[in-house]
Amino acid sequence: MNGTTTIAEFREAVLDPAKRRHYQLAWLSTVDHKRIAVLYMLTALVFFIIGGVEALFMRLQLAVPNNHFLQPDTFNQLFTMHGTTMIFLVVMPVVFGLANYVLPLQIGARDMAFPRLNAFGFWCVPLGGILLHFSVLAGGAPAVGWFSYAPLSETPYSSSPGVDYWAVALFVLGIGSISFAINTIATVISLRGPGMTMRRLPLFTWINFVNAFIIIFALPVLNANLAMILIDRQLQGHFFLPIGGGSPVLWQHIFWAFGHPEVYIMALPAFAIVSEIIPVFSRKPIFGYEFVAASSVAIAVLSLGVWGHHMFTVGMGRPLDVFFAISSMLIAIPTGVKVLNWTATMLGGRIRFDVPMLCCIAFLIQFLVAGLTGISHASVALDWQTKNSYFLVAHFHFVAVGAIVFAVLGGLQYWFPKMSGRMLSERLGKWSFWLMVIGFNMTFIIQHFLGLLGMPRRVFTYPDLPNFTWMNMLSTTGVFFMSAAALVLVWNLATSFFRGKVAGGNPWDAWTLEWATTSPPPHENFVALPPIRGRRPLWDLANPDRPDPIVGENSAAVTLPDHNKVGILSFILSETGFFAALILAYLYFYARPQAGPGPKELNVPRTLVFSVCLFASSFTFWRSEVALTKQRRGSMLGWLALTILLGGIFLVGQGTEYWKLFQTGVDLSTNLFSTTFFTLTGFHGLHVLLGLIALLIFLWAAWEGDFASGRGSAFKAAGYYWHFVDVVWVFVLLTVYILPLLR
Amino acid sequence: MTTYQFFTTAWTWNSIVLILSAVASVGYFLAFGQRGKPLYFAAAVVVFLLALISPFNALANGYLFSAHMVQHILLVLIVPALLVLSLPRSFSLHSPFAYFTHPLIGWIAGVGAMWLWHAPALCNAAATSRSVSAIQTSSLLLMGSVFWWQVLAPREEQRLSPPAGIAYLFTACVACSVLGIILTFAPVSICPVYQQPVDRLGMLSTIRGDWGLTSDRDQQIGGLLMWVPMCAIYATAILAQLARWHSSPQPEQSNA
Repeated sequence: MNGTTTIAEFREAVLDPAKRRHYQLAWLSTVDHKRIAVLYMLTALVFFIIGGVEALFMRLQLAVPNNHFLQPDTFNQLFTMHGTTMIFLVVMPVVFGLANYVLPLQIGARDMAFPRLNAFGFWCVPLGGILLHFSVLAGGAPAVGWFSYAPLSETPYSSSPGVDYWAVALFVLGIGSISFAINTIATVISLRGPGMTMRRLPLFTWINFVNAFIIIFALPVLNANLAMILIDRQLQGHFFLPIGGGSPVLWQHIFWAFGHPEVYIMALPAFAIVSEIIPVFSRKPIFGYEFVAASSVAIAVLSLGVWGHHMFTVGMGRPLDVFFAISSMLIAIPTGVKVLNWTATMLGGRIRFDVPMLCCIAFLIQFLVAGLTGISHASVALDWQTKNSYFLVAHFHFVAVGAIVFAVLGGLQYWFPKMSGRMLSERLGKWSFWLMVIGFNMTFIIQHFLGLLGMPRRVFTYPDLPNFTWMNMLSTTGVFFMSAAALVLVWNLATSFFRGKVAGGNPWDAWTLEWATTSPPPHENFVALPPIRGRRPLWDLANPDRPDPIVGENSAAVTLPDHNKVGILSFILSETGFFAALILAYLYFYARPQAGPGPKELNVPRTLVFSVCLFASSFTFWRSEVALTKQRRGSMLGWLALTILLGGIFLVGQGTEYWKLFQTGVDLSTNLFSTTFFTLTGFHGLHVLLGLIALLIFLWAAWEGDFASGRGSAFKAAGYYWHFVDVVWVFVLLTVYILPLLR
Repeated sequence: MTTYQFFTTAWTWNSIVLILSAVASVGYFLAFGQRGKPLYFAAAVVVFLLALISPFNALANGYLFSAHMVQHILLVLIVPALLVLSLPRSFSLHSPFAYFTHPLIGWIAGVGAMWLWHAPALCNAAATSRSVSAIQTSSLLLMGSVFWWQVLAPREEQRLSPPAGIAYLFTACVACSVLGIILTFAPVSICPVYQQPVDRLGMLSTIRGDWGLTSDRDQQIGGLLMWVPMCAIYATAILAQLARWHSSPQPEQSNA
């Protein structure tokens, strides 16, 4: 009711200039998870068109042999931008958008745990996208591939600022993704509605929850790598340039330590969508909920330790090859379990072949192919033959498009009625679906064979070899079908939004909570929640005579953990990954002897004294917290001021260390030791500085009379962060200062 | 010595180990009798003997870092897990020991057992001196048991809740992986004894030649063992926690 009037108002507003202005502002400044979700998806759509056009240009260039439609360098820029755009600006925003919309509704929450952080996370996407594309105006887009391998990405070999924009853009996008993940974890842990225990979570929510953990472990590792390449390029560091003793292979290791989990960051949300749609359209509960849920965890854990299979061709040596081959093959088990679960859910069901379900069926078939070619790459010998060929291109497009994009299209069309209040046209949807299936398979099946025939990837043209020409032409033809599918889809979305059949609350007869409210939901999401005793509350509501078995214990009066605490702990987890990458990079180079200044230049006793100040500040903060709980305002302010003072003294100590080093002519660009030393301690110092700013804000707020009630979960959260910064210093101190003494 | 000769003759019939195993078995049956889970206990004894008597032990004593790592994993993860599982449901720890059942202590014991014994000096000493090796073996068993107590203790109320157990195991897995990664990629020997082994058994040419295990490769395999298969053990335990979570008792179905 509320929702339908909103949509009517919106339609009216689009036509009325005065109201249009109001709505523009309302959407730009929104912190409502539903609107942010829509913004995520619209942004993804814009970049999808950009990335799609890039792909179209590449395929046009490759349509015929010896083509000169594009310059080689333009072609390199296109595949770099296409890959980066599709991964970071299309798939991630769209899966985040879907989760952002559906997840709070599925658990009966009113919004995400941190609405402003949510808006911040979204606005990182357009910012990152603009930064990335601004490189085109600033002297040329990056032309180094989406993985930006060093040393090609270093200044001597890529002197235009393209790589810098690429790195900064990805850094910003990484921060946005991490904030989304923190928000997801805090929302699921702290904001579940009454009766919605963790064991009753819909699979979509559960899998996105698990996915959030992969994000907070993987993305910071990428950010550490990006920081290092930026230091190399902007401050003449030596991390990845062999000429200064740096290691290009280290870039690859850190990149793929992020890059492999990234595949699952994109794939798990696809699994989440499919796990939601298949049961609803098969009219059966999911077969083996526990197996789908647990296999997601298994995938998450395994995904963090198998990156080496991206590097078989680097020459890591046989032991690494063997171990990574085996661990990579292991991933086939949990993914295979999932495929079995989905298939078994369909078995014996009364399947409705609406468009969302068709997308899921196409997903299943195409994902099977993608998985089989994926396992083939876990075999080292086969990988050596096919890695740099179109066989690999075909494989990962079967994953990224055949599986992920098809699932996302299914999800979009499944939840569109919820978001808009209108049904999509089934006829246009089927047109779009079949065009997409034909186009996708026409483009990519043949590329397997092209690769096996020996066509390398990342080449801008090819000679007129037997079969190459017709195969490439066929592949290019398929792109036109996919483009047509995209156009029909956009047309369908646009026309149905204004003229579609009214959907009602639960058009698909589904069972999860998002269908218990109006379409679109009111601002506060729910007027009242139905009782939740199992995994399908709406089934129980509709079938009181044969409800689902009750799952787990009814925890009526359980207080959920404080969302500030959960949020800051998740943030600390993500920071752990960032510092772990920096410390490991430091150790990697420390163990290799270098000429020039080394740890002996450092003043250990002075640093120890200043370290004591930092560690003491953890104690003083704790005293301040105790004073807060006991509502002794003066004492709290005093201890807090002392904490800030001690933190400041530590920074002065670090400044002295830096100053002395500068005086002796040691700066970041001197040698590998100085590069790694200044990077590691500098990032720690930056964190101390940020912590000090946060504490100053708290001091000011407390001075003004906040926290008078003695309740201060935000204050405690800042405390966790402050203690964490100290703990990081323990490790930095041990690595940088103490370890050389033991040698 | 050829490979065949080695695997047939290099069994270390260490009388202390055999006597200890026998005493422990008798003690187990006297203490728990029918109440225990003798299969788990028998498995623990078998794995324990395999680790300390089989040719792996000969290799671990100064020849191969990777063999040492296999021994290490068996002693810190497999044997203690089986031992804790073999305890009867009625088993409780009394006050002085109950102190060790804090999750933080368990975590530090489990992770510390990995890190501590791979400090170069301790690693060297354990590979060359029999008494240090004995101290190492007993400390690994003890620390491993303290670690596993948190997730495998005999009664439900003594264990961590499944989600906490998952966090406990996952963070331990990460902490050990970091050490594994360091061992794998370190250009210097973590345990220098294994670089120039004293060729007591005349096996060195077979190991370096027939098996192709140079000292660099050997350390890499050791690091990878700590990184990949060990994480697989933790991952299995994580799955067991999930299974435990999802199978915890269902309330009576109310026919509303």
